[in-house]
Amino acid sequence: MRATIEVIGLRKRFGPTLALDGMSFTVEPGRVTAFVGPNGAGKSTTMRVVLGLDAADEGRALVGGRPYRTLRHPLRHVGALLDAAALQPGRTGRDHLLWLAHSQGLGAARVDQVLDLAGLGGGVARRRAGGYSLGMRQRLGLAAALLGDPAVLMLDEPFNGLDPEGIGWLRELLAGLAAEGRAVLVSSHLLSELQHVAGHLVVAERGRVVADTSVAALLAAGDRVTLEEAYLRLTGRRGDG
Amino acid sequence: MAELLRAEWTKFRTVRGWVLTVVAAALVTVVPGLLFAAGSHSSCSVGPIEVPCPTPPVGPDGGAVEDRFSFVHQALTGDGGLTVRLTSMTGIITYPPPDHDKIVPGLVPWAKAGIMVKDGTRPGASYAAVLLTGGHGVRMQYDFTHDTAGRPGGVSRRSPRWLRLTRSGDRLTGYESADGRRWTEVGTARLDLPDTVQIGMFANSPGDLTVKQSETGGSIGQKRFTQTTAVFDQVSRQGTWSGTEVGDGPGETDWERYHRANGLVRSGGTFTVTGTGDIAPSRDGPVFEDGLRGVPFGLVVVVVAAVLPIAAEYRRGLIRTTVLAVPRRGRALAAKAAVIGAVTFAAGLAAAAVTAPLGMSLLRANGFVLLPAPLLTQVRVIAGVGAVFALVAVFALALGALFRRAAGAVVAAVALVVLPYMLAVFSPVPDEVSRWLLRLTPAAGLAIQQSVQEYPQVLSHYTPGAGYYPLPPWAGLAVTAGYAGLALALAIRAVRRRDA
Amino acid sequence: MRRELHAEWTKLRTEPGAGRLLLGLVTLTAVTGVALTAGVTCPWDRCTQDTVKLGLTGVQLGQAFAVMLAVRMISGEYGTGLIRLTLAAMPRRTTVLAAKATLLTGLTLAGGAVAVAASLLGAGLLLPARGYPPPSPADGPTLRAALGSVLYLALIALISLGLATVLREPAAAAGTVLGLLYLFPLAVLLLPDPDWQRLLWRLSPMNAGLAVQATTGLDDLPLDPWTGLAVPAAWAAAALLAGGLALRRRDA
Ligand SMILES: Nc1ncnc2c1ncn2[C@@H]1O[C@H](COP(=O)(O)OP(=O)(O)OP(=O)(O)O)[C@@H](O)[C@H]1O
Ligand SMILES: [Mg+2]
Repeated sequence: MRATIEVIGLRKRFGPTLALDGMSFTVEPGRVTAFVGPNGAGKSTTMRVVLGLDAADEGRALVGGRPYRTLRHPLRHVGALLDAAALQPGRTGRDHLLWLAHSQGLGAARVDQVLDLAGLGGGVARRRAGGYSLGMRQRLGLAAALLGDPAVLMLDEPFNGLDPEGIGWLRELLAGLAAEGRAVLVSSHLLSELQHVAGHLVVAERGRVVADTSVAALLAAGDRVTLEEAYLRLTGRRGDG
Repeated sequence: MAELLRAEWTKFRTVRGWVLTVVAAALVTVVPGLLFAAGSHSSCSVGPIEVPCPTPPVGPDGGAVEDRFSFVHQALTGDGGLTVRLTSMTGIITYPPPDHDKIVPGLVPWAKAGIMVKDGTRPGASYAAVLLTGGHGVRMQYDFTHDTAGRPGGVSRRSPRWLRLTRSGDRLTGYESADGRRWTEVGTARLDLPDTVQIGMFANSPGDLTVKQSETGGSIGQKRFTQTTAVFDQVSRQGTWSGTEVGDGPGETDWERYHRANGLVRSGGTFTVTGTGDIAPSRDGPVFEDGLRGVPFGLVVVVVAAVLPIAAEYRRGLIRTTVLAVPRRGRALAAKAAVIGAVTFAAGLAAAAVTAPLGMSLLRANGFVLLPAPLLTQVRVIAGVGAVFALVAVFALALGALFRRAAGAVVAAVALVVLPYMLAVFSPVPDEVSRWLLRLTPAAGLAIQQSVQEYPQVLSHYTPGAGYYPLPPWAGLAVTAGYAGLALALAIRAVRRRDA
Repeated sequence: MRRELHAEWTKLRTEPGAGRLLLGLVTLTAVTGVALTAGVTCPWDRCTQDTVKLGLTGVQLGQAFAVMLAVRMISGEYGTGLIRLTLAAMPRRTTVLAAKATLLTGLTLAGGAVAVAASLLGAGLLLPARGYPPPSPADGPTLRAALGSVLYLALIALISLGLATVLREPAAAAGTVLGLLYLFPLAVLLLPDPDWQRLLWRLSPMNAGLAVQATTGLDDLPLDPWTGLAVPAAWAAAALLAGGLALRRRDA
C-alpha cells in the first residue's frame, strides 16, 4: 500500500455552514505536509472525513488508495491525533492505549514501546488520565497515533500544550517519520514550529485549498524568510512587520 | 445574587434543547390525564333503558354522601330525647373471601345500629346518632364526616348496651350505659336543626369490600351485600312509630326477597330493625385530581430537564468557567437550582391548571357525577403540582452535581421519585409496603394532589392507586422538600470542597 | 468481531464503574426480594401468594442498574468525545455496537444470575417459617421464572444500549428507558377499557417481560410467560437496529 492521503473534491455542509467546499489535495510520502488555514477553514473536518468519522456530501478521501472504512486494521495504516482531550477520565493512560491495541490485534508490549517513545514511561501511564496535564494528554494522543506503526500519520494541532523540550522532540519525531518514507499531515497554527520540518504546505480557507506548494519553492519565490510571512501573504492578510 | 440568577437564566434559555425538554414535561403531564378523561364513560340504566345517572345526595356541608338505612322514627318537637336498650346485633355477609361461595352470619366492622335525630328522612339531611358498630364499639356520629369513639366491645343478651340521645336547642348529646342507670357521655354535636325533627332507631350495614389484583396490575375492589339486624327494647318514647327505608334504591337482593327483608318487626315493646347501607361521605365518582394522572410521566421529563444543564457543566469543563465567573460556588449552584426550580414550577402549574379542570369537564360530559372539591383545595392541588415539579427538579439537579454523571443522576432521581409511586400503585407489593414507600421516599410529595379526605370510619380501599396517600398533603410535600433541601445542601458542600 | 470484543472488554475492565453497577444490581435486587418475602402472609390461612414472583420483585428495581451500565457504555463515549477514537480504530461501526451488546449481555446475564439466585436463596431461608415451601429449582415454573428474570435483565440492558446509541445524550437516554419501563405500567392503568388495557399490557416491556416470573394464575395473564419475554426481546431488537442504523448513518 502506498503511503498517501488523497482528498478529492470534498464538500460537507453542517446545517447552514458550508464546512468543506471542494477541498482537494494529496499528501505524498516521505515528507511532512503542513495543513494550515484560519480558524474554521475546515482542517479538522477534512481529517474527520478522511478517517471515515464524518461522511462527506460529495467527493472522496482515500488513504493508500482505499477508503478508510475498508481498512482491516486501520491504526496499522493510519495514525491519527484528533482531540487529545477525548479520554475517559477514570481509565489510566496505559489502559487507554491497551484497548486501542487490542482493537488492532496488538499486544501490551507495543503499548509500552509507544509509551516510552512518547515520553510517558514510568509511573505516569499508570495514573488516571483524568489527572493528566494538557501536554501529557497530547503525548498520550501521539502515542495512540504511533501505536500501529502506521505508514500514514494525520495530526491535528499536535504541538498544543507541549513544553519547549516536547516541541523539539515532536519536531524531530515528525522529521524522522517522514524520513522513513511515511506520509505525515500536520495541521497547526504555529507555523514557526513547522518551519524546519514541513516540506510541503497546504493552505485552506473557507473549505477549499487556496495554495498547495512545496515549502522550498515558496520561500525561494520571494524575500520572505519565514513560513508565517509567506502564509499571511498567501491568505491575503498583512503581517505586522 | 440577582446577577447570578440572571446569568443562570441566560444560560438556561439559550439552549433550545433544555427549554424544549421543560415544555415536553408540561405536555407529557397534560396528555395522559386528558386521554383518561376522554376515554372514560359512565352510563346508568333501569332495565334495558338508559337513564341519566342519579346524583348522589349532598350532605349539610355540600359534600357528596351515602345515606341509606332502615329508620323507625317519630316526630320530636322542641327539646327531648330517646333512650333504648340494644340487646342484640347480628347480621349476614354474602359471599365473603376466601372462596366467595357462602353467605355467612357476621357483622362487618362498620355495621351500625343505634338511635338518631335527623332533619326529616331525606337522604343527606343533617343528623346526629349514637350507635354501636360491628367492630369499633359505641360511637357518636353526626353530619356524615364526624365520628367520636365511645366504649369498645359488642352486645349480647347478657351484656346489653343502653343508648341515649338528647336534644337541647341546637345541642345534641349522646350517652351510653351498661345498665341504664350510670350514664357516660359519648359526645356532643351542635347542629342547625328545625324545631321538629325525626327521632328513632336505625340499623344498616355497608357493603363488604374485597380487593383483588387485576392481571394487568391494578386492583379491583368489589362490594358485597351485607345486612344488620338489631333488637331494641326499653324504648323510652311511646306513640306511633313509622318505618322508612331512607335512601333505598330500586331492586332487591334475593336475600331480602326470600330470607329477611329490611325494615321493622315489632312485637310488643321489642323492636327488631333490619337494614343495609352506609351513612358516610361518598367515595364513588371521579375526583378533581383524576385529570392529573400524567404527573408521574411529567416528572420523568422534569428529572431529565434538571440533569441536562448540570451534566453539561461537568462534561466539558464548563464548570471551570462558571466557577471563574462566580467564585462563590455554593451560590452559583443555588442560583442554578432556583432557575430550574422556577421554570419547572411554571411548567407544572400551567400543565395542572389546564388539565385538571379540562379533565373534570370531559368526565362530566362523559356522564360521571364528580366528587366536588372546594375551590381552595383545587388551588392547592394545582399549585402543588408546580411545587412537586420544582422540588423534584432541584433534587435531580443536586444529584447531578453530586454524581457528576448524567445517567446516574437520572436513574437515581427516577428510581427515588417515580419508581416508588409505580410500585405503590402497581405490582404485587403489599398495601402496607406501598404506604411506607410513599411516606419515606421523595414520592411522598405526590400527596399534595389528593383532594378527597380519608375517613377512618368509612370502609374503602384507601390505597395510593385509588388516590389516597398515607401522608396528609402538606406533610407529603414537606418530605419531598426535605429530600430536595438535603440533596442541595450536600451538593453545595461538595462543589465547595471539590476541585472544579 | 474478535478484535472489537477484545478492545471493548479491555475498555470495560479498565474503567471503574461497571463492577460497582453490577454489585448495585445484585444488592438492590436481592435486598428488595428478601424484604418483601419477609412480609409475606397467608391471608385466611391460605398460603396462595406467588412467592417466587414476590421474591423476584427486586428485578424491577435492579434493572435500573442494568440501564445505567448500558447507557454509560455508549453515552459515556459520546460525552468525552472518545467515540471518534473508537470509530477511527474500529471503522466497522455495527460490529462495534455488536461487540458492546455482546459484552453487555454477558455482564448482565452474570450479574442477573447472581441477583436472582441470591433473591431466591434469601426467599428460601425465610419462606418455611411463613408457611410456604422454599422455591426449588426442580420446580418447572420456578426455574422458568428464575431463568426468565435473568434473560429479562439482559434484554432491558440491550434496549438501553440501542436507545442510548440513538439518543447519545446520557440524561435523555436514561430518562427515555426508565420512562419506557416504569411509565408503561402506569399508562396501562390509565386506560378505562379492559381490552385496551390488555393490549397495552402486551406491548409494555416490563409488564409483558415480567410475566415470566409468574408461577400462579398463569391463565389470567394476557400473555403466557415465554411469549411475554418475547416482548422486551422485540423492543431490544428494534432498539439495537435503530442504534445500529443511527451509528452507521451519522457523523461520529
Ligand atoms: N459537528 C459540527 N457541527 C456543526 N458545524 C461544524 C461541525 N464541525 C465543524 N463545523 C463547522 O465547520 C467549519 C469548519 O470547522 P473545522 O473544525 O473543520 O475548522 P478548522 O479548520 O479545524 O478550524 P481550527 O483551526 O479552529 O481548528 C466551521 O465553521 C465549524 O463551525
Ligand atoms: Mg481544527
